[in-house]
Amino acid sequence: MLKVINGGIETLVEDWPGRLGYLGKGMSASGAFDNVSLGFANVLVGNPSGKAGLEITGGFFEAEFSDTTVIAVTGTDMKASINGEPIVMWESLQVEKGDIIKFFQIGAVGFRSYLAVAGGIDVPAYLGSKSTCVFGSYGGFNGRKLEAGDEIQIGEPKGSFSELSRNRLKEGVVPEFTNAWELRAIVGPNTSPDYVSQKGMDYLFSHTSKIQHTSNRSAYRLEELPNSFFARTDGGVGGSHPSNIIDHAYAIRGTLNICGNTPILLVADGPTLGGYMCTLQVINADLWKVGQGTPNRDTMKFRLSSQEEATQARIKQNKLLSKNSLA
Amino acid sequence: MSNDKYDVILDTMDATESRLEILFRQAGDGFIQVEYGRKQRAALQDSFRMLAINDIIKSKSINGLIETVPGIRTNLLHFDPEIISYQELIENVKESEDSMSTIDDVVLESRIINLPIAFEDSETKKSVAKYVAEVRQDAPNVINGYNIEYMAMCNGVSVAEVKKMLLGTEWFNSGGGFWPGGAFLWPMDPRCALVVPKYNPPRTWTPEGAVGIGGPCVFTYTTPTGGGYQLFGRTIPIFQFACKHPMFKDGPFLYRNADRVRFHETTEKEVLEIYGHVHEKFDYEYIIDQGEIKAKDYLKWYNSEDIQTGMKKLKEKQAVGVKEAPLL
Repeated sequence: MLKVINGGIETLVEDWPGRLGYLGKGMSASGAFDNVSLGFANVLVGNPSGKAGLEITGGFFEAEFSDTTVIAVTGTDMKASINGEPIVMWESLQVEKGDIIKFFQIGAVGFRSYLAVAGGIDVPAYLGSKSTCVFGSYGGFNGRKLEAGDEIQIGEPKGSFSELSRNRLKEGVVPEFTNAWELRAIVGPNTSPDYVSQKGMDYLFSHTSKIQHTSNRSAYRLEELPNSFFARTDGGVGGSHPSNIIDHAYAIRGTLNICGNTPILLVADGPTLGGYMCTLQVINADLWKVGQGTPNRDTMKFRLSSQEEATQARIKQNKLLSKNSLA
Repeated sequence: MSNDKYDVILDTMDATESRLEILFRQAGDGFIQVEYGRKQRAALQDSFRMLAINDIIKSKSINGLIETVPGIRTNLLHFDPEIISYQELIENVKESEDSMSTIDDVVLESRIINLPIAFEDSETKKSVAKYVAEVRQDAPNVINGYNIEYMAMCNGVSVAEVKKMLLGTEWFNSGGGFWPGGAFLWPMDPRCALVVPKYNPPRTWTPEGAVGIGGPCVFTYTTPTGGGYQLFGRTIPIFQFACKHPMFKDGPFLYRNADRVRFHETTEKEVLEIYGHVHEKFDYEYIIDQGEIKAKDYLKWYNSEDIQTGMKKLKEKQAVGVKEAPLL
């Protein structure tokens, strides 16, 4: 068991690939915002890569372990410590009963840390997933972020503590964090020539945009687009603004929704359907980068990708998130 | 696809006598959007076909197809590209479309869900009052503390006529989305097709079971949340997170695609009692009739003189109403 001393800014139970299959019921997949960091943390402690762990956003999470277990911390460097001793990130380590883990604030790069525990965080699965949808208040631990006093159960480890601790990753597999994120993206469903001007598409793939401070697990907002972005002056029967369209389902996680003049990446907990056009989707293998993008500090830029490149990147990523990556 | 790097039309199917041209649009590495027609339109006949085809696609249990998300004129297919290619998926959709070659084939299973509604109830009135107090004091859509008079004004009709229209048609679910358990409900009878603008800015709180209208769609709020639809009453639970009532034993959702909702008026007292029977005693019996929609019969009825005349009369009233109603 893990006893929460301080829930921090936003600490959530998340797994991967999250709650798939309910978009038409108005439920986004949720899931770890940076699935690569959660995946490596799980691999380090001997779990399947998608097992539920804790996603720590912003920092200041603190908790006490009630039993001996093995953990790993990945993602942004929040200067995590055990009883005041710094933890080496991206490695597994054994912790003892009564040990206190404490996270400080976000590091110079990245926005979210992940804590995996051997056996995984054990909350009841809701509609096939242990992920929390904060915005809808369901899944995870009572449908909410963790608070002081919460007692979180831990599952059965897959091996002895001595086997699972002191695991490290091979050279070069840890993903590269930055303050300037390049996201590979596939265009569609609403692009030039009918919805967006050619010039507008070029702008989208050349402009570097600061991540707006209003970004969260549902939506990552970018800088406003110029009016010349649109290929039309209104949305016809869809509405008065050229970004309006008759309601259609949103390809989340990862679609870029154009809401008025504001481009919004619809991510983990985003809305599943609505009346605004969508012009591109961040490829599945790059979704983790969005989760590490720090609002009001980092920038994002899109690079045109293809179906072929995206599928190859998925395959490569899935291969990396396995025991093969252990040193 | 053409050589244009921004072209997203992966494939097409020509229009036939019984359907529009079909476009297959790229929507990501794991999503394609099937779209009916190049022109935006909201017509129930498109939705009937989209949902009938959707049933066929789902009955194929295609390996790698994660889910489908139909809208009124689109269907979003979510798939795993490591298991199935978009080309194979498009071939499956094409086969399904070809198997339904005439309008006679478009027959859709469609239940009728009978929901009691209390017009102008105290809970939705509270949420409107909260909006005025905390969000917009001068909201022109709030008249005498509520939205129903504004709804009447926008459509050039009386409040009594608004209620008659809300009760006088079945409301068709073209597909869910946006909010857990939500459904976008369209009027089957065009003589009851009210249209109203949405709140500007939106509300911060709406009670469970609130019933509202925004644009042409009615929405029954499944859980307490914000929202932008004009409120006119409250119905019984249509969603249950805990899945304890037998109606929700397979999941928290009441609505299925292609369901029709029919409202009947009751008292707020009865609605509140039913909340107890759904959420605490788990013994309320929902009134659901099995049924189907035959697109051909519907279109014949829709295009008949009576219906068309009635629809034109409403549109004339609406043209006057729109000019009188203040913008939001």
